[in-house]
Amino acid sequence: MIRMMMVGLALLAPAAWAGEGAALPHKDWGFEGVRATWDKDELYRGYTVATQVCMACHSFKYVSHRDLMRVGFTESEVQTLAKALNMDMNAKLKTGMDDATAKETFGKVPPDLSLMNRARPGGADYTYALMHGYSDDSATIVKYLPGGVPQGAYFNTYYPGHAIAMANPLSGPGLVTYHDGKEATVDQMAHDVSVFMQWTAEPERMDRQAWGVYVLIYLFIFTVLAYLTKRVIWKDVKKH
Amino acid sequence: MSSHFTPPQPVENDIRNFGRWFEDRLPIASFIGDHLGKYPTPRNLNYMWNFGSLAGIALILQIITGLFLAMHYKGDIHLAFDSVQTIMRDIEWGWVIRNMHMVGASFFFIVVYIHIGRGLYFGSYKSPREVLWGLGIVIFLLMMATAFMGYVLPWGQMSYWGATVITNLLSVIPFVGPDIVIWLWGGYSVGDPTLSRFYAIHFVLPFVIVGVVILHIWALHLHKSNNPLGIDLKKADDYIPFHPYYTIKDIFGLGVYLIPFTFMVFFAPDYLGHPDNYIPANPLVTPAHIVPEWYFLPFYAILRAIPIKELGVLAMFGSILILFVLPWLDRSPVRSARFRPLYKQLFWLFVVNFLILGWVGAKPAEGMYVTIAQICTALYFGFFALLPVLAKVEKPRPLPATL
Ligand code: HEC
Ligand code: HEM
Repeated sequence: MIRMMMVGLALLAPAAWAGEGAALPHKDWGFEGVRATWDKDELYRGYTVATQVCMACHSFKYVSHRDLMRVGFTESEVQTLAKALNMDMNAKLKTGMDDATAKETFGKVPPDLSLMNRARPGGADYTYALMHGYSDDSATIVKYLPGGVPQGAYFNTYYPGHAIAMANPLSGPGLVTYHDGKEATVDQMAHDVSVFMQWTAEPERMDRQAWGVYVLIYLFIFTVLAYLTKRVIWKDVKKH
Repeated sequence: MSSHFTPPQPVENDIRNFGRWFEDRLPIASFIGDHLGKYPTPRNLNYMWNFGSLAGIALILQIITGLFLAMHYKGDIHLAFDSVQTIMRDIEWGWVIRNMHMVGASFFFIVVYIHIGRGLYFGSYKSPREVLWGLGIVIFLLMMATAFMGYVLPWGQMSYWGATVITNLLSVIPFVGPDIVIWLWGGYSVGDPTLSRFYAIHFVLPFVIVGVVILHIWALHLHKSNNPLGIDLKKADDYIPFHPYYTIKDIFGLGVYLIPFTFMVFFAPDYLGHPDNYIPANPLVTPAHIVPEWYFLPFYAILRAIPIKELGVLAMFGSILILFVLPWLDRSPVRSARFRPLYKQLFWLFVVNFLILGWVGAKPAEGMYVTIAQICTALYFGFFALLPVLAKVEKPRPLPATL
């Protein structure tokens, strides 16, 4: 039923806020659908990309290492991870780059990424597409940017306006070494970091959905009982 | 006058019979009993009559969830956005409370729109219920003010820019407009003073709404509810007591309402929201499209349909205020659309037109969309303009004398 309702909503979805960037391909994410979960290994890999690549410029200011314990990391694991970054496990994940340097280098301060997947239409699909949206192919670029790419910007198919101040952060495979030995292809890294960012954007998501199922079942029974009671009470009322 | 006056009757002073003792001093139990339990209700009401009590429950839910949010929310431009994230992440059950408040505001409007539509279809605004109807429009206006200011509180991009666009509308008031806007902002742009006062007003207005709701119900209970036939019910057995008949029917209705509501709260809390509001407010970056919450879209479309700003603002406010005079525009003595073949068609046209206005309100104000908005705005006001004429040309179907 839930899946059907979701599909219904998707069909009704106001197209009003799409626009600007190119249409986003949809990926099947593990955090979506009836069997949705946070996959600890996926998050761990995403964390690796986020902290070792993205955090050079971006913060995740709403999450700390301790928060990872909500998705199955043990205290000692979290402690080890934090220590490896010279961080306290209660400290928020902030980049070492200060705003002034960032502004000088990129012309703008890289936005905080913890809420990013909620702040863009498409969420994880957007982040994933953005990571794949870079191109050097002049034919593609001319199609979107007939005037060429502005100074200091990079072409990206999915960024609104197609000229982004961020150079391709996942420029090639092997930027990180994964804890589980998985091969760090560009696609794998893009996937994992998108999942991690979904978690930082809505860590409550799985609690939400798990509770939702129980509340809906309860309400369904409540409503059926209320209806039957109503029938009994109204039995003696004259029809008009 | 004095002949009607009966001096206070002596009462027992036996506090051991506490219920009786208290009732003799403040008859609140019999007041509630008369107005909830025994309230005589037409026995032929259909499910469209569920939406009044649903609106009341939606209001109470907003007040309760709002109160819990207020315990953690910070009405300061440097803290507001982060405090909402604290509610979502660190406060126990904070995400449930906030999602309920956010989705609850939308569902409150859905319920009230249906409630108003019900009144429109069955002619509930006609004599002797004009004041009841007017109080309803007052509630609707207060709700809009409340929701508008509430949406500013999370201090995201849409909060900031929505507030900027809408408050700026007042600058069209001749001579004093710009000064009023500055006074409202507490500065030369939307800023910290604006946020603090919006928070205070957002907190208090719902209680004002409760007050008007009490007047609304008072007016209702004087002449009793209208009914799907729209005729005056004169026989005692046309009525049944509110309890248990309508209490159980309303409880069933509540269940039906809570299922989609819960679904949104737990599975799609952001569906009716705008992603831009998860970007902290930034006065230096204007969003590509500034769109208000969905429940304002039809009126936003009317505003933007008219190229002259002053007229647009007038039309937008006029489109709601005109509802106050509806009882005098509609001259037909017949209430229910069931017996008014032309009005019935016009009503559905009005509903469809209103939905199209909502749709076009979310589109950029350019090209085709402007034309559509203009046609729909003309039709919106055309509906009201036609009503006086309609009463003359329409032949109502014969009314039943009784149920
Ligand atoms: C060298 C610095 C740098 C690194 C490393 C970096 N970014 Fe960025 N990022 C930026 C800058 C600068 C912007 C602002 C771009 C703009 O708005 O034009 C940005 C913007 C973004 C945006 C927002 C785009 C939008 O829609 O506004 C996302 C999403 C993003 N980065 C994701 C990532 C991810 C994921 C990583 C790691 C894989 C990463 N970034 C690594 C500098 C960086
Ligand atoms: C008529 C009833 C009410 C309506 C329609 C309403 C509507 C809204 C809306 C639309 C928001 C923005 C939600 C968001 O996007 O985050 C909001 C936020 C808020 N409201 Fe209300 N509200 C009502 C009653 C109340 C009451 C009675 C209180 C306090 C006692 C309250 C306290 C708050 C607070 C603290 C916020 C900011 C937190 C947040 O944004 O989640 N509200 N309200």
